[in-house]
Amino acid sequence: MTSLRITKHPILKLNSKKQILHFTFDNQKFTGVEGDTIASALLANGILTLRRHEESGSPRGVYCNIGHCFECRVIVDGMEGVRACLTPLREGMDVQSGQKLPKPFKTGITEQEFRDYFRAGESQ
Amino acid sequence: MTDCLIIGAGPAGLSAAIACGENGLKTTVIDEFMKPGGRLLGQLHEEPNNIWWNGCEEAEKLYKKAVTLPITLLLQTSVYNIEKKSGHWHVHTNKGSFKADLLLIATGAAEKSMPVPGWTLPGVMSIGAAQVMANVHHVKPGHHGVIVGVNVLSLAIARELALAGVKIEGIYLPVKNPATLDQAVPTDVFKSLLNFTHLAPSAFLKAGGYFARRSSIIQTAAVKMYPKNGFKVWGIPIKMRQAITKILGNNKAEKVCVSDISSSGRIIENSERELSIDFVCIAGGLYPLAELASIAGCPFKYIPSLGGHVPIHNEFMKTPLDGLYVAGNITGIESAKVAIAQGTLAGMAMSLAKNKSISKQRINQAIQNVKTTREKALIQFHPDIQKGRDELQVAATSLKNQLSKTAI
Amino acid sequence: MERKELIICRCEEVSLTDISSTIEKYQCSSREVKLRTRAGMGYCGGRVCRSLVDKAIAEMKGDQPSDEIPLTYRPPVRPISFRTLGGN
Repeated sequence: MTSLRITKHPILKLNSKKQILHFTFDNQKFTGVEGDTIASALLANGILTLRRHEESGSPRGVYCNIGHCFECRVIVDGMEGVRACLTPLREGMDVQSGQKLPKPFKTGITEQEFRDYFRAGESQ
Repeated sequence: MTDCLIIGAGPAGLSAAIACGENGLKTTVIDEFMKPGGRLLGQLHEEPNNIWWNGCEEAEKLYKKAVTLPITLLLQTSVYNIEKKSGHWHVHTNKGSFKADLLLIATGAAEKSMPVPGWTLPGVMSIGAAQVMANVHHVKPGHHGVIVGVNVLSLAIARELALAGVKIEGIYLPVKNPATLDQAVPTDVFKSLLNFTHLAPSAFLKAGGYFARRSSIIQTAAVKMYPKNGFKVWGIPIKMRQAITKILGNNKAEKVCVSDISSSGRIIENSERELSIDFVCIAGGLYPLAELASIAGCPFKYIPSLGGHVPIHNEFMKTPLDGLYVAGNITGIESAKVAIAQGTLAGMAMSLAKNKSISKQRINQAIQNVKTTREKALIQFHPDIQKGRDELQVAATSLKNQLSKTAI
Repeated sequence: MERKELIICRCEEVSLTDISSTIEKYQCSSREVKLRTRAGMGYCGGRVCRSLVDKAIAEMKGDQPSDEIPLTYRPPVRPISFRTLGGN
């Protein structure tokens, strides 16, 4: 698929000599450029899904791109709730996508599942 | 302690900071983004004399001025609360708390959305999001897509995207439902567009608009006879008699369902077809982002022509609360030039409040400048903006007890 | 038109059907509709869906918008970590 990076524009002055930055998203290696936000770097790489809805698991991506909707929230270097659209990309950044969360009490579980669920938590 | 705090480094906030700084006030400007400029950064449109308004360059001009003055710019800083304690405004952010006697809220606007089934799929974004991606980051929102929502913003940004090499199949209406209503009705949408025909690229559209504005009969006829494939504006078809009824795809937007619609927005049976795309933009309009003014306790007035709930303020941009000012799109959806004029006025008013010497003539000039800029504005987001402003002025006057007739 | 699949509040995935059935069942104010369905009470603080929810509820109930903001804003208007609040 052709890149989504704009390489020519009749009005805007484009800078073709931007420094390349390396980062990972869900443990896969990608590159971006100086001045990218995490969101623009991911889009340029064709990545549209930034996280899964915590309850339904439905895929979500950038929606407002100006920090209002929080749909683009990702986990950066371990910190949650980081808005990809407002965060400048830095060399070596480790970005992870949020996943669907288990909801044992909401869906109803058996006693064995209950024990297993908490045992799994204990071992961490 | 700083003399004044400004939330928002967009055209209004930066202009206010410059006015404050020029009058010797120590100012701190706070913004969530990594660059100053707010929504100016993504703007790119042609003015009548064929000169391009390049928002990035305008923001740069303001920033260059600001750095010569006693202004502290705190970027990547999010405000989560503001409160008045012991006569000072306290602004709480993720990077600490700040306090000052004077506070200007210039947080601009947020986008209204228009729900269409499937709109939560990745690849579906607001029209503003596409503008930022293309004009600020130089990344296309996709290769080939559609825009849902026919209004001045979607038309302007559609052109910007086309300039960036994005293929736009067309600008469509959303399917009619309780959350889209008039935005899904061709006759209503057509009427709202008539106010922008003076911007139309072709004489035919300009002339047509001139006559249609004066006759509802012509309007009705025009919508009924509206060509099925739409009129092209800047090479992009405005499909006012077609609606996007669904967005489909496996984990991302891959197709849209399009149906023909009647003048009243009713779906015409057996007209549904599918279109392959890789992005969809939703354009529902803008509304003032006034949450911080609300938390501060500022009273509001609901004025549809200004975008929604607007914080009440007098002609000096001062709210009924001591030391609290507003400027820019938070006061109503208008252009960046109006935001700059309002910001400058607010900065002067705040300087006056700090007993800086500013002549009555200069202040009145600043007030007049806002009015003149508004009148000269090419793109008016709503035809009744002046009426809306007058309504707000009446509301402000009725709060005479809390507001004095002066800036302080 | 399938109302069930039309999501109005993205954060809480509240559909148009959720809203209309709540109005029907409880015959309540728009504020109560939001409290019951959680529409407008999610991560984004209602920034994306507020105007939609208000519009839809007004249409379904015949309400007129007032000058008062229907569901008041409460701080924090941005999600914050405990660390920010705790100061360390």
